[in-house]
Amino acid sequence: MKMFYSVAVMGLSFITIGCGSSDVTTLSNADRVEFGSHFMAESEPSGAIRVGEAREKTLDGQEVTLIGLIGGSSKPFVEGLAAFTIVDPKVPCCAADEGCPTPWDYCCETDAVKENIAMVKIVDDSGRPVTQDARDFLSVKELSTVVVKGKAERDDQGNLTVAANKIFVRPGK
Amino acid sequence: MLLPWEYGVRNLARRPVRTTLTLFALSTVVMLVFVVVGFIRGLEQSLAVSGDENVVLVYSVNSEENIENSSIAAQTPSLLTASLDSAVTRFGVSHVSPELYLGTRVKTEEGDGGLGLVRGVGFGTPLVRRSVKLIEGNWPGDGEVMVGRLAAAKLGSSDHAMTVGKSVEFEGRVWKISGRFAAGGAAYESEIWCKLSDFQATTKRQDLSLVAMLLSPGNSAAEVELFCKERTDLELRAIRETDYYATLQQHYRPVRMLAWFVVLLISGAGVFSGLNMMYGAVAGRIREIATLQAIGYGRLAILVSLIQEGVLLAASGSLLSGVIALTLLNGLAVRFTMGAFTLRIDSIAILIGCGVGLLLGVLGALPPAMKALRSEVATSLKAV
Repeated sequence: MKMFYSVAVMGLSFITIGCGSSDVTTLSNADRVEFGSHFMAESEPSGAIRVGEAREKTLDGQEVTLIGLIGGSSKPFVEGLAAFTIVDPKVPCCAADEGCPTPWDYCCETDAVKENIAMVKIVDDSGRPVTQDARDFLSVKELSTVVVKGKAERDDQGNLTVAANKIFVRPGK
Repeated sequence: MLLPWEYGVRNLARRPVRTTLTLFALSTVVMLVFVVVGFIRGLEQSLAVSGDENVVLVYSVNSEENIENSSIAAQTPSLLTASLDSAVTRFGVSHVSPELYLGTRVKTEEGDGGLGLVRGVGFGTPLVRRSVKLIEGNWPGDGEVMVGRLAAAKLGSSDHAMTVGKSVEFEGRVWKISGRFAAGGAAYESEIWCKLSDFQATTKRQDLSLVAMLLSPGNSAAEVELFCKERTDLELRAIRETDYYATLQQHYRPVRMLAWFVVLLISGAGVFSGLNMMYGAVAGRIREIATLQAIGYGRLAILVSLIQEGVLLAASGSLLSGVIALTLLNGLAVRFTMGAFTLRIDSIAILIGCGVGLLLGVLGALPPAMKALRSEVATSLKAV
């Protein structure tokens, strides 16, 4: 009997340890939807231009609406921030039947990507990047087609970053 | 009623040659398990302690996650410090370490040597690589190098050839060893460090392999990663150092899986040899077992006694191997593709090694004992 109690106490201890609270804070499904709704546009913003075109025409500080596919490298998302790179839809990525494990890195079109890539960072009201992974609250993944609206940031090297406050994810991708 | 404890112990002493041979066989099996588990634990430990979670590495996006292949512009460190306030800055000194990292053929004074790992470093490096400690000699000056604790193992050379005052030759130049360093078992311990500018001049390179930054509290690697992704023209990528070594852990996963499979095979072989040995031992004692049954000992009592003998022998073998492994194997340097690391006979290795040993004792004794007990007492008493 004593042995049975010992085993039971040990088992309970393991269960208690196993069920301890985790330090990692993650959004619940409901929180995720609510948090994401601040940044999600209900309908697709009009007048969106492609990334390649935006890199040619857009000026620093200009309001811009961009359309592109999430990708450009094997890891297009920035871990821990709501930021990712998008590529002009005109740049072809590997077809599904080619068996490429990461078609979103555009490995066959690296030269084309250089002139057709933009960084998108989702910013809060104060203009700071949101410190949540975009995949957690925007229902986006690699090769999702997104339309983002925000302020363009340009540098002398021709890089384009959009500090976006609204994003629309085209369904089906 | 159980058989007296002494009965099993004395039985072992009755057949000293057989017992000694069995002990030797069991010890060998457990020793092999210790070697393989020590190898796995050493590799895992080396990669686990190599990263600092406050350090972020910036290197070329085209290097396929291998820093040796990376080449970035020499002005990258100043660009990073000017654009980001993520790095720790004390007394006006940014904790940023530009480094040139290369795998090259290294020859010692004694004529031996092999493929070594050389890192060109600056005075900012110890501020970032906080686990590195100079254990002998001085920080390298012009034409000098300091060698890691395991650099000799990596080169397949002797420790004597890599002592302070000796010299090594690489990239067509002779370098004097000015010091030796340790890094708490981290991967740097198998490297050779020299002055960055000296190394660049010798290799006729002006670029860098990577920049390591120590993040100040409150800053995250994500900010550096964001900067690298925004500046696509620089073709940089940033990764937390712990994540970099975690990817190496993944890279070496097949090796570790194979090693665990070897542990399984060795254990299996040990169990079968144990079974073979115990079948022989029990077969010669059929009359003795039948006599014990005849005078009133139950089958369970005899089974327990036989298992006791097997476990006693296995425990002695495990203990013997454990002592040898801890005194002779623990800390032994092993050369590996990524550098060198030491065999690690830690608590996990001891637990697995001794666990396998005890399991051999139980599993080896159980089937033959049960077979012997299944025979009729009258028949067994007449057995030759």
